[in-house]
Amino acid sequence: MKNENNILKWLNNELSEEEVKDLKQSENLETLEKIAFYASQMQAPKMDAQQALDAFKERNLSKKETKVIPLNFKTFMRVAAVLVVMLASSYFLFFNNAKSFETHIAQTQNVTLPDASEVILNAQSTLKYNKKTWKDTRDLELSGEAFFKVSKGQKFTVNTPVGTVQVLGTQFNVKERPNYFEVQCYEGLVAVTYNNKTLKLSKGKSFRVLNETIQVVEDFNAENPSWLQAESSFDKIPLSQVVSELERQYDLNVDYEAVDGSQLFTGAFTHSDKNIALQSITIPLKLSYKIEGRNVTLYNYGK
Amino acid sequence: MLCEETYFNHFYLEHVQHASNFAYYKCGDKDHALDLVQDAFSKIWENCSKIDFTKAKTYLFTTVNNLFLNNVKHNKVVLEYAKAAPYIDKTNESPEYLLEEEEFKKKLQNAISLLTDAQREVFLLNRIDGKKYREIAELLDVSQKAVEKRMSGALKILREHIENI
Repeated sequence: MKNENNILKWLNNELSEEEVKDLKQSENLETLEKIAFYASQMQAPKMDAQQALDAFKERNLSKKETKVIPLNFKTFMRVAAVLVVMLASSYFLFFNNAKSFETHIAQTQNVTLPDASEVILNAQSTLKYNKKTWKDTRDLELSGEAFFKVSKGQKFTVNTPVGTVQVLGTQFNVKERPNYFEVQCYEGLVAVTYNNKTLKLSKGKSFRVLNETIQVVEDFNAENPSWLQAESSFDKIPLSQVVSELERQYDLNVDYEAVDGSQLFTGAFTHSDKNIALQSITIPLKLSYKIEGRNVTLYNYGK
Repeated sequence: MLCEETYFNHFYLEHVQHASNFAYYKCGDKDHALDLVQDAFSKIWENCSKIDFTKAKTYLFTTVNNLFLNNVKHNKVVLEYAKAAPYIDKTNESPEYLLEEEEFKKKLQNAISLLTDAQREVFLLNRIDGKKYREIAELLDVSQKAVEKRMSGALKILREHIENI
């Protein structure tokens, strides 16, 4: 038998009519053709499939043990769940590049960034950055208040929910609190973006947004934010904001409903003694206070 | 999935004919073939949770094969021709021609029973069930080359046998 491959292809219906013709010309395939043709007419005994199935059910239903599946499925889910947890946790262990720092009430924390820039976090603040992309973009996310000493290098960006602060290498303070956003530049030049507008701050200048209105703030002379020396200082700030800061520095709950929360306060309070701090706030405003445990109530003097 | 009764029934009905053909090519006995097939389906049903449903068809055929090998009983495999099937030359109706062809068909029937089991099942799966070598290879869990080799062998034996007698 020559052309063995082609003959096989022919019987597998892989040859075109043309090729079959050629094949038949090159070799006498009469017998083979007949074999192929008549063999196709053969039949195996016909089955009644449904009847066979019924017969099968009769002999077999007692044998089945299908109860295994739900159990198996559960095990499978269990294994899958464990795997997912393991993968997820290992992902966070080994591949998580997000670094995050958080301070609680009355806490500050010094953070040194990979480029030796320093950040000091004030109370109840969080700072996040991505270790992996830090080399290319010095991007930080801040909510709360922090003082930055940025070493020279590429653009350094602080993103807050309210606005962005960009610098090249400088010292500045960012304070982002409910209804309050303030950037103070202590050295160099800082660009603040607020509501899509960018403003440049040089040394001693501040940018403050109170209740979504930009405020005009006088220049300051300090080298560092006062909170670094355990003191919070305010320059014409509504009492409500001062109280919020007080609550952040001491674990207190201050009720000032009896007094005017919008009256402006200029001054400072210490972080080391809550009585002195309360006095520093109340005396200039001619207010009095009562302390009961964690609760402080402010009220008007003499009433 | 195979453990679901509706799915299994569907699988059963879809493959029972081909599987029993296959069993028949091996043992040449209708009842015996059906027994083999029913046993194979039982195995699948019992192990339904362990069998990947995409492999179930191959599993069915290999199980039939194995069950057959375990069984000593061998019948001569003679396949019947379909009734009212045409002759290869439909226009020729001379009595000599018809007689000749009938003679040929008998020879072919005999020759097929002379093939080895492996050759016969490949040859018949291809001719009767119209399966491609690739499908056969998949069902028998062997390489396509092996199937082609068996087919070649079958053709050679059939041809020699028919031409020599």
